[in-house]
Formats: sequence, C-alpha cells, structure tokens
Amino acid sequence: MRGQEILGHATAPTGFDVVAAAETALKNALETAGVARGELAGIVSTGIFRDRIKGPPLNVTATVPDYVADAKGALFLNENSRTVIDIGGNIHKAIRYDQHGNLLDVIQNDKCADGLGIFYTTMAKAFGVSEQELSELALQSTKRVSVAIHCAASAESEAIDLMCQGVDIADVADAISRFVVERVAAMCTTMPLEKEIVAAGGLAKSKALMRHLPGLLKQDVSVLRLPEYAGAIGAVMNDAGRK
Amino acid sequence: MSEHEYASMNEQLDWKDAKVIVAGVDVGAVSSKAVILLDGQPYAVSHVVTRTPKESAFRAINAALAKAQLKLEHIHYIVGTGRGRTQVPFARGTISEIACGAAGAVHLWGPSVRTVLDAGGQSCKVIRCTDKGRATAFLWNDKCAAGIGRSIEAFADLVRKEVTEIGKIALQSDQFPKLSDFCTVYAQSEALDLIRSKVPVEEVIAGYHHAMAKRISTLVGRVGLKKDFVIIGGLANNPGIINWLESNLKLSRLAPKPEWDPTVTVALGAALFADAFYRR
Repeated sequence: MRGQEILGHATAPTGFDVVAAAETALKNALETAGVARGELAGIVSTGIFRDRIKGPPLNVTATVPDYVADAKGALFLNENSRTVIDIGGNIHKAIRYDQHGNLLDVIQNDKCADGLGIFYTTMAKAFGVSEQELSELALQSTKRVSVAIHCAASAESEAIDLMCQGVDIADVADAISRFVVERVAAMCTTMPLEKEIVAAGGLAKSKALMRHLPGLLKQDVSVLRLPEYAGAIGAVMNDAGRK
Repeated sequence: MSEHEYASMNEQLDWKDAKVIVAGVDVGAVSSKAVILLDGQPYAVSHVVTRTPKESAFRAINAALAKAQLKLEHIHYIVGTGRGRTQVPFARGTISEIACGAAGAVHLWGPSVRTVLDAGGQSCKVIRCTDKGRATAFLWNDKCAAGIGRSIEAFADLVRKEVTEIGKIALQSDQFPKLSDFCTVYAQSEALDLIRSKVPVEEVIAGYHHAMAKRISTLVGRVGLKKDFVIIGGLANNPGIINWLESNLKLSRLAPKPEWDPTVTVALGAALFADAFYRR
C-alpha cells in the first residue's frame, strides 16, 4: 500500500511453513504491485501467526493483533461499517468498532465450531468441485435439506448420508452452505451487531453463504471488496495511524 | 486409504467358461468398489473415488467390466452395498455393509474369524460373526468418531504427504506429541498448530495416527474383541493405525492377504450374496 492506495495483493496457502507462506505471499504481492522489495518502507504482520514471521527473511517492522487489523481494514474498505464478521479457514469472529476503528466488542467461535473454512474446502474436494463451483451449485438448489447444526465432523457425515439417499448435489451443497452460515449466525447472537455490517475472510467470497447470512441475522450484510485482505489492509492502516 | 483408482483381474480365469457370473458393488463414502465373481471365484476388482453415489456406482462396475472385457448384461445378479447402496440402479438387491463385511472377511480368512473391524473412510464398524460369516452383532462408531479415514486423507493433504505413505511416516518417530483422541476436528486443529510451531511434521503425523488409533480401539473395546481378528477397509492399509491399534488391543490381526486389497472386502461379500441369491 502507498498511503490510502492498494498497489498489489496476493494470497498463499499457509501450509505448514508459515514463514515460507508469508514470504511467497509478499513476493507475489510485490510483483502485482510492480514494486521492488527495497522500496518497502516497512512490513506489518497480523493474523494468528503474526509473531512467527517476525524474524528473517521478512524482518517485520510491526505486528498488529488480528482483531485490531480486521476492524481497521473493514473500516478502511467501508467507512460506514461498524461490525465486521470474519469467516476464515479455522476461526470465525465478529468485531464491533467505532468510527475510528477502535474496538468495542469481539466474539470468536467456540471450539466445536472450529474449522468451518477447512470444512468447506474438504467438502468441495469430496464432491470433486472447486469452492467456487460448490457455491454455484448451492445457488441452484431447489429443495431444502439440512445437515447437523453443531460440528463439522457430523455435518460432513450427514452430507454424505444425504448424497447416499440420492438427494441432488445442489441441495446438499446448499445444506453445507447453510450449516456454515448458521454456525456464524449462532456465534453472532451473543453480541449486538451495529450497522453497517460487513463480511470479511475467504468464505465471504462464497455467494451461496452470503445469500443466507442476512436472513439469519435479520440484518443487511454487505461483502467487503477484497474480503480476504481486510486483516492485511488493516494492519497497514493501523501502523500508519500510529506514526 | 488409497486415493488412487484401479481395476485388476485374475488372468487365470475366463468368463466364457463360467456358469454363474455375479457382482457386488460397494458404494462407500470415500470410494466405491466392484467385485465380479466367476462361479464363486474373484475375477475382476475395481476401486474408484466416490463423487456422487450413483455416478460412482456406474464408474466402479464399468471399470471392472472393462478390465474383464465383460458387458453388464453378462452379469446374472448384482448386489449393492455400502452407505450408498440404494443408489445402485443396476443392482437386483441390497445387503447391509455389516453382513457383507462379515461374509467377505470369513471367505478370505476362513472360519476362525470372530471379529471384523471395518475401518473405512467415513465410518468404523466392529462386527462379530460366526464361522459361516454371519454377522451376529455389530457396533457403529458414535458420531464424534465419524470420518476418521477421510480425516486422515484431509490431514495428508494438509501436510502434503501421499495418503498411501502417511501411515508409514507415522512409524518413523519414537517420541511424538499427544493429540485429542476424541474429535477429528480438534485433532486436526491441534496438529496444524503443532506443525506451525515447528514440531517436526513426522512427529505430528505419528501423534495424529496414535490419537485416531486410540479412538478406534475404544470402539473395538466396547464390543469386546474375540479371536481371530481381522481388519478390512481403507485403514487396513495404514501401518501407523494398525501398529497402535494392535498394541492398544494387545492382539494382532490375521495377516492381510497379499493378493487382496482389504478395501474391496465388503464388495466381495456383496458378490458372494449375489452368487447365493442367483443359485437359490
């Protein structure tokens, strides 16, 4: 980023080498931005592994807690937003903040709801489709069926049962999407959500998920531009604000 | 677990000499298998990845038929089994995977078998049976133990190892961290945290297998283990799981049949039922 301008962005799967993943993401982002590494004034890290990548080769100049970064990033991407719901690979959370991006309240999923993002990926793989295709399939659903309401292991098992009963794959895909969103909505009941509400994280890109979320929350939810980058953008914004 | 797809046949036999040609098709949660018998002898076998159940049932039988240069109309009787057994439109009947697992295992290992552990992709079943291969009692995994096989596949993906290799890698470490042995979702989450904290990936793989084996042992313990004991299903091919399972149960399984993939045992059982039904 330069000032308020996003020059480039990239994602890399975290895999098991956190540092290598961060390095890859940075390299690719520099490439899309057309910026040389030496031109960077600083590197800020956020996310659960923000501290693991502090040393070489990245030599991070500052770290920002993921809640703070999410709030700042969401506010930057939508200045009227006051609540961000972040649905990531292993954790989902909701954060409420004021007009300056100061945290007011946060909530994170309980353990039995861990891994919604990974679950979604696994299910796409089980169906032999991409995540994008899983979302498109779900949008074609015509019949309402449901899978478990509590845990991803049970939901997976029940999704397979439905398939084995001959239920249409689009309807099962919709059930999977609703399962994910219902878990997120259940988490949100314990915290008042303030308008405007925005969605961030990789799963916010799924149209199938996002079509159910407003109904379950009984509130409007808009998806941020670059939803999976809200944290990264917020990390930069927060650090810039501190100087 | 074997992600790969294959079809194989017994070159010694010729279907043109056979009086009775039957097949069993096992549509599992992770993979679908077909076995074709000529006068009771295994002739062709196939193993494909399950996508949607009906389409996978067709792919499984077609792979076996193609290998044996047979056509569907040559088969006198087909029995469907497995979780997706109602989705085999070309089957004349269906039999539960419990009955098929017992029948297939006793056919392969002989009348001394009393306990069959079917450790598959989505479910684990412990089956008690008679010397004739009749299932007399069984226990299905409880909900929190669902999907151990699939979770090992997903885990192999996460740590970028081949699913066929990961069970061997599990045995390379003498020391390893303990992981949740209650829930596959927790175990996976904990395993990822450990790997990212720089615990050697081999040790985490060992810990993961140890935990999953413990989960399955609890299930077997609940039914009560009676000799002889055999393991079928995809996890029978995973040396890591087998190692800790045997040490927890303090009993070794009968050695796997070298010429037989344990994953297709339930399909064999279905084919044996088809043979009996046709002759009746």
